[in-house]
Amino acid sequence: MALQRTIRKLINSQNYLLPRGAAFLHSHATSFGFTEVNEEEKRKLVGNVFSSVASNYDLMNDLMSVGLHRLWKDKLISKLGPFPGMKHLDVAGGTGDIAFRVLESIRGVSHKAMHDSFAETEGQTQIFICDINPNMLNIGKKRATERGYTKNSYLHWVEGDAEALSFEDGSMDGYTIGFGIRNVTHIEKALAEAYRVLKQGGRFLCLELSHVELPIFKELYDYYSFSIIPTMGELVAGDKESYQYLVESIRQFPKQDVFAQMIVDAGFQAVEYENLVGGVVAIHSGLKL
Amino acid sequence: MKIKSSVRYQFNGDRLAPQKGTMRPSGGDSPPPLCPRFQIPHRGRGIDIPPRPFQRRTSASPASADPFRGTVAAAEGDPGRGKYEETQARVFIAALPHTARLGWTESALIAGARDVGVSPAIVGSIPRKDAALVEVIKSRFASPIIDQRDELKNELKDLTLSDRLTKLIRIRLEMQAPYIAKWPQALSIQAQPANLPNNFKQRAELIDEIWHAAGDSGSDFDWYLKRTILGGIYSTTEVYMLTDHSPDFRDTWVFLDRRVKDAFDLQKTVQEAAYLAEAVGAGVGNTVKGFMAGIFPGSK
Repeated sequence: MALQRTIRKLINSQNYLLPRGAAFLHSHATSFGFTEVNEEEKRKLVGNVFSSVASNYDLMNDLMSVGLHRLWKDKLISKLGPFPGMKHLDVAGGTGDIAFRVLESIRGVSHKAMHDSFAETEGQTQIFICDINPNMLNIGKKRATERGYTKNSYLHWVEGDAEALSFEDGSMDGYTIGFGIRNVTHIEKALAEAYRVLKQGGRFLCLELSHVELPIFKELYDYYSFSIIPTMGELVAGDKESYQYLVESIRQFPKQDVFAQMIVDAGFQAVEYENLVGGVVAIHSGLKL
Repeated sequence: MKIKSSVRYQFNGDRLAPQKGTMRPSGGDSPPPLCPRFQIPHRGRGIDIPPRPFQRRTSASPASADPFRGTVAAAEGDPGRGKYEETQARVFIAALPHTARLGWTESALIAGARDVGVSPAIVGSIPRKDAALVEVIKSRFASPIIDQRDELKNELKDLTLSDRLTKLIRIRLEMQAPYIAKWPQALSIQAQPANLPNNFKQRAELIDEIWHAAGDSGSDFDWYLKRTILGGIYSTTEVYMLTDHSPDFRDTWVFLDRRVKDAFDLQKTVQEAAYLAEAVGAGVGNTVKGFMAGIFPGSK
């Protein structure tokens, strides 16, 4: 571990100065941030990261994105268009932000007026939150109790791996993954699993930190990512390493177009993406037909 | 949740091919190395298909957290796109019978999706849902007039122009009669700024069709005038019909008849006014000439 840390520090200081091409020599499956690791190891390392950030996860989200992450998640839900009776799966949804929003959207007053004819199907709504890390799930369960969502059993917390879901084929109307697909070792497997569990007509939506191309904004964003965020992580959570991994993993993730092509290759149709804040965040969506 | 083995389907170009065998390993084995199934470069057509290019499409919706935005969609013309549009069309058509009860809303689309057997999640991917539904029904109304132009010609040839126009507008509005209960909602949806361009286009096409069916094939200078006037007559009659409770909308047809006759009378009135102005102008001109001749004798 100490050796890895040293290697990472060395690569870190140089990678920021290396041309972009060199950084992308690592493939996603064997990259842990800018460090190269074995495929089996990546899963463990990511697990460690999330076990240590779980308790401060929501606070750090607010600090790093200056509260914008709430708007991004709202936008994701408005794109999804939840309806009563929906079976929804939120993968890597640990602390439950997206799942709570889906639930609120279905139970919301304005929707009740619109969907009064669907009152009988509202009871069939099922929202599954799947996460590989039990610490994150526990935080989520606690938040759900605090908000009083445990009265009707709409929410189900499931521990599972995005690359090997334990749900049946064609059982979900919607699949969302928010800020999680970056941490998966094999993205293609996660996409294939998403395709498998969706019904015909089901939608896949992915909210993820992505690449910025705008000239001046890009420099500002890079400075913010590499200088300010790890420092913030150190001050608030006492964990600089995890947040260093976070910002590096964003750079390692495929660009918007490449990722969209991967979604098409998994079998989805009508694939499109939308950049928010100039590319800091991108929402990719696809349809299974 | 039990882990079960099942037959999986893989998207392979334009057909779905079943993949036999299980995908998930049993017990606690580590996942197998990346198997060939996940490498999808060839689409089974025997030729090298280059990666599908993406088209840039600017997003026009206003509400957002930021000024920078871009969207990209898969290229038109690939087989998946056709299937999506076909499924979308089926959902729209299945949603139409539900509009009487649920109005021109997302709920009608969701009910339609359920009827077709597709997950209602597809409704989330349709942009401008209610407006799209209204546009679908308007284009369904328009097709009979276009398709049956020849039969209509026979029916209409013995009538005067004003009667022809009246009959055509009546045929078109009668198609709307079954949906009249929720039609005010449809009109208000169409009046929203985002939907206005499509609305104008559909109406312009409709008025054009009516004039052609009425036998006007000229493209003279008052082409715009004719269409504007007819558009006005059509819109006012449509709105009148919303509050008409007479049997078979009798009052609406009387209203329509009067409006069309008024328009033709107006045309005559305008012409007569033009003649009158000409005559007055000529008279005044003569008077002025005489006056000037009186003041400056000998000038031309």
